[in-house]
Amino acid sequence: MNKKQSLLFSLVRGTAAILIALLVTTLLIFICADAPDGASLGAAISAKLTQTGGALHQLLIGPAFRSNGSISAKNLSDILAAMIPTIFTGLATCVMFSANQFNLGAEGGIMLGAFVGALGAIYLGLPAGILPVVCVLIAAAAVGAMMLIPAVLKAKLGVSEMVNSLMLNYVVMYFIKYLLNTHLADKSKGQVQSYPFQADAAIPQLVDNGSKLSWGFIVALVFVVLTALFMYRTRWGYAIRMIGINQDFAMYSGMKVGGIVILSQVLGGVLAGMGGGIEMLGRYTAFSWSALPGYGWTGITVAILAGNNPAFVPFAAFFMAYLDKGCNLMSTYSGIPAQLIDIIQALIFLFFAAEQFLSRYRQKLVVRNTQAELKSKAAQTEGSVK
Amino acid sequence: MAEEYVVQMKGITKVYPNGIAANQDVDLNIRKGEIHALMGENGAGKSTLMKMLFGLEQPTSGEIWINGEKVALTSPTVAIATGIGMVHQHFMLVPSLTVAENMVLGMVPKKSGLLIDSGSAIEITREYSEKFNLHVDPTARVCDIPVGMKQKVEILKALVRGAKILILDEPTAVLTTQETAELFKELMSLKEQGYTIIFISHKLAEIMQITDRMTILRGGKSMGVYETKDESPEKISRLMVGRDVVLKVEKGKAHPTDTVLRVRDLEYINEWGKKMLDKVSFDLRKGEILGVAGVEGNGQKELVDMLFHLNQPNAGSVEVNGTSVLGLSQRKIRSEGVALVPEDRMLYGIAEGGTIEENLISDRSGSKRLNRGPLFDMKTIHAECDRLIKDYTVLCKSGAQQVKMLSGGNIQKVVVAREFSNNPKLIIADQPTRGIDVGATEFIRRKLVELSRSGVAVLLVSADLNEVMELSDSLIVMYGGRISAYFEDTADLSDDLMGEYMLGLKQQAPEEVGRVCHE
Amino acid sequence: MLLQRIFTTDFFFSILRITAPILFATLGAVIGEKAGISNIGLEGIMMISALFGSLTAYWTGSWAAGVLLALIVGVIVSLLMGFFSFNLKTDIILTGVAVNMIGSGGTLFLVKVITQVTEGTALASTTSLITKSVQVPSVNIPLLKEIPILGDILSGHSVLTYLAFLLVFLTWVMLYKTPLGLNIRSVGENPNAAASVGVSVLRIKYIAIGLSGAMAGLGGAYMSMYYAMGWSQDMVAGRGFIALAAQAMGAGEPLGSMLAALVFGLAQALGIKVSSLGADSNLVSPIPYLVTILGLVVFALVGRSRARQRHSAAALQAAAAK
Repeated sequence: MNKKQSLLFSLVRGTAAILIALLVTTLLIFICADAPDGASLGAAISAKLTQTGGALHQLLIGPAFRSNGSISAKNLSDILAAMIPTIFTGLATCVMFSANQFNLGAEGGIMLGAFVGALGAIYLGLPAGILPVVCVLIAAAAVGAMMLIPAVLKAKLGVSEMVNSLMLNYVVMYFIKYLLNTHLADKSKGQVQSYPFQADAAIPQLVDNGSKLSWGFIVALVFVVLTALFMYRTRWGYAIRMIGINQDFAMYSGMKVGGIVILSQVLGGVLAGMGGGIEMLGRYTAFSWSALPGYGWTGITVAILAGNNPAFVPFAAFFMAYLDKGCNLMSTYSGIPAQLIDIIQALIFLFFAAEQFLSRYRQKLVVRNTQAELKSKAAQTEGSVK
Repeated sequence: MAEEYVVQMKGITKVYPNGIAANQDVDLNIRKGEIHALMGENGAGKSTLMKMLFGLEQPTSGEIWINGEKVALTSPTVAIATGIGMVHQHFMLVPSLTVAENMVLGMVPKKSGLLIDSGSAIEITREYSEKFNLHVDPTARVCDIPVGMKQKVEILKALVRGAKILILDEPTAVLTTQETAELFKELMSLKEQGYTIIFISHKLAEIMQITDRMTILRGGKSMGVYETKDESPEKISRLMVGRDVVLKVEKGKAHPTDTVLRVRDLEYINEWGKKMLDKVSFDLRKGEILGVAGVEGNGQKELVDMLFHLNQPNAGSVEVNGTSVLGLSQRKIRSEGVALVPEDRMLYGIAEGGTIEENLISDRSGSKRLNRGPLFDMKTIHAECDRLIKDYTVLCKSGAQQVKMLSGGNIQKVVVAREFSNNPKLIIADQPTRGIDVGATEFIRRKLVELSRSGVAVLLVSADLNEVMELSDSLIVMYGGRISAYFEDTADLSDDLMGEYMLGLKQQAPEEVGRVCHE
Repeated sequence: MLLQRIFTTDFFFSILRITAPILFATLGAVIGEKAGISNIGLEGIMMISALFGSLTAYWTGSWAAGVLLALIVGVIVSLLMGFFSFNLKTDIILTGVAVNMIGSGGTLFLVKVITQVTEGTALASTTSLITKSVQVPSVNIPLLKEIPILGDILSGHSVLTYLAFLLVFLTWVMLYKTPLGLNIRSVGENPNAAASVGVSVLRIKYIAIGLSGAMAGLGGAYMSMYYAMGWSQDMVAGRGFIALAAQAMGAGEPLGSMLAALVFGLAQALGIKVSSLGADSNLVSPIPYLVTILGLVVFALVGRSRARQRHSAAALQAAAAK
């Protein structure tokens, strides 16, 4: 099957996955929709249908367009701002999954990165301009170092990086919660939060409309390019991908498998940590996260939708952020809880990652392609014989 | 006439989708109660024929008759129901289960409806074990018992499921001499009880010992059926090992110079305690092609694995240009100038999901030539890959095509293009043209000669007689983990002589074999 | 003095109470792994079953109905996982992650819909719904409770607690004494061998994953109907993952994995005790997770040295046989 058909097939499969997820979503919305008490079955159904329609409108159209049909710039900038952390976790997961390392620690990683960045923002005495950069850098370094734990244990002892990274997520969360509630707590505020960041630590905003769309977004895009370059245009990214495809082949060809396994996870940590630092300094003035933020899991969905290709991460991240915004709108205006996004995410990526999904359709494409090739080859030889 | 035959395979032809004919119009007739050998070299078609008898494959054309009735053996279950049992070369046993549990798997006796009646299972096992004189310990776990006993369990498994016709696929490949003798006693006992045994093998000595008749396959065709007692090992050897067409290769004379590869007293005992390499010593020189001939399973695979650190020997030394390569990482081995065309190209040779380009540069991704600073120099990479694709006539759309889309021959050309193009000093080619088309085969052989004449040392391990006899300048024959012969000049080597050394009928004296060590 | 304050009979009682839900999930992991299935979704299954179990108990007024439904839900979710993994060939780890997503977000969604809670309120839960009457009952075992010290530790647990430990034995029996267990172990170790004797590998895998889900379902019921009163957000808190570690440390065997689960129970109980004596709960909560990492490392090191011993022993044996 040639490249064009392969792309076509992926597109069809992806669309099918999304449609199925939306179908289930519609069903769920319908079930949740309010029906006036005591109404007849017909009236209840029609009331529910109207509601469902409204909800779907908010979900799919709402994020982009206002009710009067004009484009909502505020919504769009909200979406772009929401993409910042998930682009980073998506990139991190792409790198790790490309090496076949099922490290699920981007979740704890981004939280740690945010925390370390916050610490720098509170305590480091550096001039403006340099302060946020240094904060983000130490955040990235800290999380990269943390990822050494599951990485080295996997490379040297073969211990499951998945279980280790999952455990680390919890350890990080409690460790941060402890510090947040004790030494760093700003008791003067009503809610649990740290001391405020220095004003110089804030990452400047791109647009001034309350969306919190900071320059971090540009940095995220820069790293998309850098990561794509790394994975496809450097020898280390190449080694990561080859090890993910066939570890025996990589070893036989002379690549250092253990070192690359470690590298892929550490890089994943660096990217997640950077995302945390940028998100914290771009959006907040004090650290108040007391639970894992969920960006890590979204990052996994993003990586799967992007096919582990960093170049497609922004599109996947945009798609997820769009739907997330839609769910938020639905929850505000239709009372459908926003957690629907988790169900949608799970369904999309279940079907997306299912290799045998629509495999019969792929088989038909391959057969048709081969037959066509054989026909043209036969015609060629006939022509040359004549 | 037909009644005396319990198995009749008539005119069996098997052609695979890739066009290779594994069996061509083969007849096989087995009498009731005989031990019948199915012989031939690797690739002769024995396994394929038996797979069809056991329902694992279907013939492209031909008929199978069992006990005078025509049957369609569509699956192993059908074959078992027809009374055919197969003992595979790689045991179908569950290691942590006991012998008795493996015996009754799929037909477990129950007590009180829910629990395994292990007493009954053990009873059944003991009963069959005694009846057929195949001594097994019913309560021992399969992972703890020796290989010989594992095989007995496999035979008992077939018998307990009602097999009257037993197919044994290379049963002595994993056995020590002692265990082999035991097995033969058991087989004779089975024969006395009226069981029919088909014995796939290429080990001449054993066949002569235990079988009544033999059918010899060569190149997918039958060379006839013979009464064992009437034949001499030499004649059988000639029938098994021989080339219908001799492919001459334009070689020119070799002028070997310094020793590149020096192997001394290499020894290896495998995980089942069998000695696969027994004090193997040889030298390979610049500018020569040294062939390693022999029927597969005589230590060739283990030898190649040692040379590339895919396994470690128990004793001995391996030096390339004076540097020991034992235990070195593949990266270091390659930096000593060693290249390997692996036997299993899909496992080691290529990354299936990668592009042709990605596969071509896998051994040189870090070289200065292909990198500019931290980034790949894509222009140079494209140019080099395009050049390799052209020079090695890889039929593809471009270097960006996925390598798994290529035909087997072209995939091998990608492997070869990579391995030959990084200025190797020593090339180890392990079955380099197995399973690929004629065009690619010729191309690769020509390339090997070209490289050798330009000063590269080539170790050619091949079970293909034509290849190893015509391509090599000199060759060694491996049998039973030892070098049974060294021929300095392959020019007038006869197939018959080769056969005798390959099948263990002859063994050169140590002084003769020692001539392959030039230092 | 301090030791006496920590190691009271209450303390040991609490170890068993804390271990039970982990143990359910661990048994789920054990059965799955025996069939060659890495069930990452145990965490999500526990969350989903916890919710449905407690809701059913509330609606029907019967704790038994709640537990039963939790078990059924566990089976259904795991069979669906099986469909995606075995038939559609989604990587089983990704299937597990998807189930966990549904388990954390999807359950919250459902709860909000049911309790009509909208955005803005703090952690949603069904705490108010589960009262003493629909909680899983505790039993005081007649003769046992009279025994000093031991009686206080072993008697008075909930029905499910006793069930969890009983299931260790039953799982062992199933795996090693029934034909089903034989088939499961064969499919896990050598599917070719199983297929060659006519065992349907697919069917056995579905059964195994279904049993695995059933165990997780019971674990979920335990959480929301005894350990805590009702379902709350993030209540399972990684027990489904700790179960995977316990299975690994227990070498995949029911008894060994139970011991490993008890170790985690001990770690957690210790932590709670220490925090009740004044230490910060956030310092104490990570202990079970750290113990898991440590445990896996120790287990790997031990396994490695044992393999090395076996290898050199085999070589010596072979050399001696010459």
